[in-house]
Amino acid sequence: MAEKQLQSTLAAAAFQKQWFGDLRRRVFDERHPYALIQADVPFELFDLLEIPAISNQWWSSLVAAKRQAPAFLAAMEADGIPDQLCRYCSLGLATTRYAKAGEAPWGGLPVPRLLCARLTCDCIHRVFSLWAEEFGAELFEIEHPAASELPPRWWELTRHRWRELIEPHRLEFVAATLEHLIERLEAISDRRLDRARLRERLTRVNRQEEIFDSTRKLIASAPATPVRMTEQIANVMATQWVRGTDWAVAHAQHFHDEVRARVDAGIAACNGERLRLMWVGAGLWHDTDFYSAFEDSHGAVFVWSMYLAFGPDAYIRYGLDDPLAALASRTASFNEFLHNPPWAAEWTVAQALEHRIDAALVLHPKSMKPSATGRIFIERALEEAGIPVLAVEADVVDARAWDPVTARKTVASFLDQRVLQ
Amino acid sequence: MSVSAIDELRVAFEEPFWELGRDAERDHKTILMSWPSVPVELVRAAGFLPVFARSRSTPTPAADRVLEPELFPNRLRQLIEAALTNRLAAVAAVVLPRSSDPDYKCFLYLRELARRGSVANLPPIVLFDLLHADHPDARAYNAERARDLFARLANLAGRQNRADDVRDTIATGNRARAAARRVHALRSNPPRITGVDALPVLGAFWQVEHERYAALADRVADTLAPRMPLAQRRVLVAGVPVDAPTLHATIEAEGAVVVAELSPFGGCGTSTDIAIAVDPFAALADHYGRESVDARLPVHALMDKLDAMLSAVQAVVLSQPRDDASFGWDYPRVRKLLARRSIPHAVLDGDPAFGATAADGERIRALLASAPAPSEVRCG
Repeated sequence: MAEKQLQSTLAAAAFQKQWFGDLRRRVFDERHPYALIQADVPFELFDLLEIPAISNQWWSSLVAAKRQAPAFLAAMEADGIPDQLCRYCSLGLATTRYAKAGEAPWGGLPVPRLLCARLTCDCIHRVFSLWAEEFGAELFEIEHPAASELPPRWWELTRHRWRELIEPHRLEFVAATLEHLIERLEAISDRRLDRARLRERLTRVNRQEEIFDSTRKLIASAPATPVRMTEQIANVMATQWVRGTDWAVAHAQHFHDEVRARVDAGIAACNGERLRLMWVGAGLWHDTDFYSAFEDSHGAVFVWSMYLAFGPDAYIRYGLDDPLAALASRTASFNEFLHNPPWAAEWTVAQALEHRIDAALVLHPKSMKPSATGRIFIERALEEAGIPVLAVEADVVDARAWDPVTARKTVASFLDQRVLQ
Repeated sequence: MSVSAIDELRVAFEEPFWELGRDAERDHKTILMSWPSVPVELVRAAGFLPVFARSRSTPTPAADRVLEPELFPNRLRQLIEAALTNRLAAVAAVVLPRSSDPDYKCFLYLRELARRGSVANLPPIVLFDLLHADHPDARAYNAERARDLFARLANLAGRQNRADDVRDTIATGNRARAAARRVHALRSNPPRITGVDALPVLGAFWQVEHERYAALADRVADTLAPRMPLAQRRVLVAGVPVDAPTLHATIEAEGAVVVAELSPFGGCGTSTDIAIAVDPFAALADHYGRESVDARLPVHALMDKLDAMLSAVQAVVLSQPRDDASFGWDYPRVRKLLARRSIPHAVLDGDPAFGATAADGERIRALLASAPAPSEVRCG
């Protein structure tokens, strides 16, 4: 595994471990309710009502990073669930339903008081229904009205013109759904949501994302990449799961300052950087070494992934007179920006140009069907912008079909033949 | 007479999608849809002919260049193929329901292909966003979407947007639904028609003018009623909803009879009437939100429908093609339910549009060998 170059990365990992330890203590020892939720659910509401929330995707990435995913996924298949179904969103379910099949991190998930999911992909209702049934816990679903008007350069509207970006009937529906969610959370926590505190929290989320924006610009404009993509992701993910908290804003600043110092000192993540790569798609959590595997051989550095770049463009909302409407505008079309045409292709190309990308590796996650759609448009748009593309067929949590040696050879050959030529 | 009624309904079920692009005058009056989660009554009330994209083993080379493999069902590949080969140029509009991610992505892809200039002469591409949540907010949202769709269609047709027209169409549609239910009732206890014949007769409801459909379906029912019952093992086809009788043909070639399918093209599509209400848009939206069998129908509603169909069957075939992203998750529940009812089942993973694979054929034979013998039947 590549060495950690930033102190903030170590701090982020320590924070996460401590946070989960505290959660388990509160849940087991103090019988405090917690929630298990999808990554695109507005965490802020849970946190403000003092219901800690665990992200399904974060949990899946941990299970995969500890190389436990194959055992749980094999158990799921042995139970008759077809192998082509989404692994990323269901690995957590597998750790609960087939708990004896492997060793889940830190003893596994305790029983949540509530599960909450936004019904984006078709499978989410199914996976979370099964999971809630397995836990014997309540499920709150956020129905997902679909966009029919999709301004291509969406990121130019999110901050100030979000009421134009989200069609009024969708915005109204999602805001009403969040009101119902708040009612449930208030009943569980026996507290009332203070709207002024919600506004303050969203203001701090804006601040955190502004810092990330500044960090993104530093990375994009530095002569050589100052921080590896994997360390960008580690810092961003730890922060986003608790976004808008004092720790999150402080950590975003810490991360930014370290990157700033490295840029000022002319320190590069990889000495001899020759090629700047982008990774399009979710992270390969079971083989994160892949992202530094081409530094020595080709001077090829992964500069960009969606994780740092997405926050500033997708989260910031100015004009918080009605904070719930602002939150609803973020919730209404969240990860669709990353997959749906024309949004995903336009944004990816804009990011590639800003980051002076030489080549793109695009994930083909066969088992994550909605995430796999739209990639043909992304690949064509990148190629048309003069950026060579290599498709990488892989599952982000399931390593069983992943051959790391062949994958590295394929990338090396691509770099030799299409990028360095 | 009934044979010709069956034949007329079969042709009306099988052909309209494949006829697109051959008769511009007819196409101008046609709304193409990808799945019957769009209220067909709104299309008719606006003066259009509803046609549904259908799966078939026909190659889709143009679509294969813009659609990722194993993500889109065959019917959507056929729809995109039709768009890219200029067969939809004269169609009044394409309406895609939000009945699954692939249907929604098909909407997005068509819009993007048009935006990028990859396809010329596309008609308006419209989304019908139907939510399935059983909640007043979702019902109000759906009613507004239905109202909005009708306004758009009426505008396209150059007609007045009149709720009375919608109410009248619902009433006519209900008469057609009642006739379809008569036919469906003759499929079990005991069955008097094969699944290969029944599915097109029932599925034609979605494309045939409803007065005509009611007359034809009634004629089919009148002729079937005195027929000798079919003394064969009774099979239900579930899993990913089928839109063609190819799987039925494979199962029936092994000496069984398909008596039901969990598909809107089968008996599910016409199992209940639509309320004639003051607000016909709310009534339509409620009906389709509750009854449309698609990938976003809540699992408990789907399981209730499945449970209700099991009393008539001795074996269940579950179709789980590789492009499925949703129905496969129901398998643990389905297996448990079938075990409780002591009904054997088989899971097929081939694309039903291409008929059964060798492995699927073997699974069907093994299933039928393990299913109870057909019960004694009374002559009708």
